[in-house]
Amino acid sequence: MEIIPYGDNALLINFEQKIDSETHQLVKSYHNAIINIEEVVYQIPAYCSITVVFDPESINFEILKDKIKELGIKPEQTQSKSKIIEIPVCYETDYAPDIESLAQDLKLSQEDIISLHTSQTYDVYMMGFLPGFPYLGKLPKELECKRKSTPRKLVKSGSVGLAGIQTGIYPSEAPGGWQLIGQTPLKIFNSRKEEPFLLKMGDLVKFYTISATEFKKIQDEAK
Amino acid sequence: MKQSELTLIFLKAGMQTTVQDQGRAGLQHLGVPIGGALDKRSAELANYLVGNKQQTPVLEITMMGPEILFDTDALVAVTGAQFDIYIDNKIVKNEEAFHVKSGTIVRFGQLNYGCRAYMAVAGKWNAKKWKGSASPILQAAEATPDSIIKKGSKLKIESAHLNKNGTLDKNTSTPPLANKIRLKVKPGPEFENISRTAIAKFFGQGHLITQDANRMGYRLKTELTALEEKKEMISSGIIPGTVQLTSSGQPIILLNDAQTTGGYPRIVNITDKDLDQIAQLKPGDEIWFSLE
Repeated sequence: MEIIPYGDNALLINFEQKIDSETHQLVKSYHNAIINIEEVVYQIPAYCSITVVFDPESINFEILKDKIKELGIKPEQTQSKSKIIEIPVCYETDYAPDIESLAQDLKLSQEDIISLHTSQTYDVYMMGFLPGFPYLGKLPKELECKRKSTPRKLVKSGSVGLAGIQTGIYPSEAPGGWQLIGQTPLKIFNSRKEEPFLLKMGDLVKFYTISATEFKKIQDEAK
Repeated sequence: MKQSELTLIFLKAGMQTTVQDQGRAGLQHLGVPIGGALDKRSAELANYLVGNKQQTPVLEITMMGPEILFDTDALVAVTGAQFDIYIDNKIVKNEEAFHVKSGTIVRFGQLNYGCRAYMAVAGKWNAKKWKGSASPILQAAEATPDSIIKKGSKLKIESAHLNKNGTLDKNTSTPPLANKIRLKVKPGPEFENISRTAIAKFFGQGHLITQDANRMGYRLKTELTALEEKKEMISSGIIPGTVQLTSSGQPIILLNDAQTTGGYPRIVNITDKDLDQIAQLKPGDEIWFSLE
């Protein structure tokens, strides 16, 4: 672990630069401990780093760096329990614009893609890109894929996509280049709710299949 | 003057007019951009001039200003970019509080210097807040319905205290309004990974601002083609003032509405005290960087 200055009012904690569950557990433990340092204004935890923005009137880089080191977090203490959030996804063609071409590219059937995608539990490694956008990983090896060469101008809210070793869910309409294999009727970001974010860094996510009829039913119930 | 309810009625919206305050720090781990007035000192000065508290919202007015009908008397100040500002047909000064009579129109004419003006109106603003801030978020415009000004928008303010009693750090000075500026920077987290040739070019020449310049960030025209091919970086946090080097070698200055994570090397960070100046630059203006 390395702690370096980042601009005037922030520092960057860099862990070993790799994407895996062990590193993620460390990020999570540090993030949860740093929340209690009152001079910290906000944090941006990522795959293997945390950006820590502080109030320069009450602390400086050196003192904050020492405080973070003194937290003394060790990997073995970091297996904290997370809740598993189950997310319904409709993988039918109308909701999955890229599933057919992706199946061809990956030399899998569409059923294989669905069963592989729903086969495991994913870590929410980080949030970014859009308010409430979760980066989930890692994908089963068979599903690793490239982004689309031309990004879509508009991806529907709730779209579930694949890119590289990750899967993600669009919390709102946005442009995007992920391979879209399904859509959830859940609003994972809803500013009108008291708790607008369904997911946060450190949660666990599992997808399950629903039909188009069930998709519409859930969507209607939410209205 | 006693308190009364004032409504600003926008006859014209301008190019990009938004309600801004200090933004919302604390949700960045959820992917929410920080937002807030880009030129903080000008926004603070505008509030000070009319006797408002620092955190009161202001209007951020970009390049082409609005036309606003006032339905009640008000005390107003405009700072930052210099527009020709008219009350009915009489011109008023920047950086001075002025009274607007009920039924008159404040109109922003030609832009002379800078890019963004800040308009404060004395009183308590009733613009709806989300998570502590009235600043709008692109992906959740519904969360702050009053904050993106359109033609016909109405903003309600409890107009009050026409005696100035605001607080301001007297050391604050607003950014100079120039077309060519030098910004002080600190080495960014990936500074050492960037080729020496690219670094030399970065500091050795001026960088023109492209048309791709908004509250998310400013893309610069320069192409630092000597960028060495390094292994792909793993996405990491972005803060306002971070300058990323994209895969095409074009630097991008990231600002308050930028996404919170990015995967390009972070070459430098603009120092905090120089950050406000960027808000006053437009496409075609020129930036030179030097290490602090």
